[in-house]
Amino acid sequence: MSLPSLPKFHNPLLPLELVDKCVGSQIWIIMNNHKEFVGKLIGFDDYVNMVLEDVREIDPVEGETRMSKILLNGNNICMMVPGGDGKWVDG
Amino acid sequence: MATNGDSPDTPAADTSRDPSGFLSEIIGAPVTVKLNSGIVYKGDLQSVDGYMNIALERCKEWANGKVVRSWGDAFVRGNNVSYISADNA
Repeated sequence: MSLPSLPKFHNPLLPLELVDKCVGSQIWIIMNNHKEFVGKLIGFDDYVNMVLEDVREIDPVEGETRMSKILLNGNNICMMVPGGDGKWVDG
Repeated sequence: MATNGDSPDTPAADTSRDPSGFLSEIIGAPVTVKLNSGIVYKGDLQSVDGYMNIALERCKEWANGKVVRSWGDAFVRGNNVSYISADNA
């Protein structure tokens, strides 16, 4: 007995392929310490360390900091949202 | 890539835009290093390794927009680093 093969159209996007698709565009990163970063993704590596450009660091206590180009350690990244602008939904 | 070895378009393939390419670009330049604890160090980036261990020259510790401590050379252990920012990129 063999396993049923997946239909041809079923071609799921792997998590890191999603990140790769975001290279060159704006992303929103939520860290596991409640900090957030918004910026353009320039590149990343296997650990999902990220190079970001025109970055806003959003700290719930310290507020916003702007930086031109950073290497963000992937260790504390919790979530990455393509096209995100860091804005909360009202209400 | 570790989890996606045989994908035709491995993200890590383009070395000009990935983290190691960025780091080689900014070696010797003034940088800001922020730790997970919130402490900020500014100095000239002497070197970085794969653990994100960092060697800084003329390193200064900043808090609330002011220098609070000053060192010559400093080693920062990589596990504490949140980000490395190029000051004049």
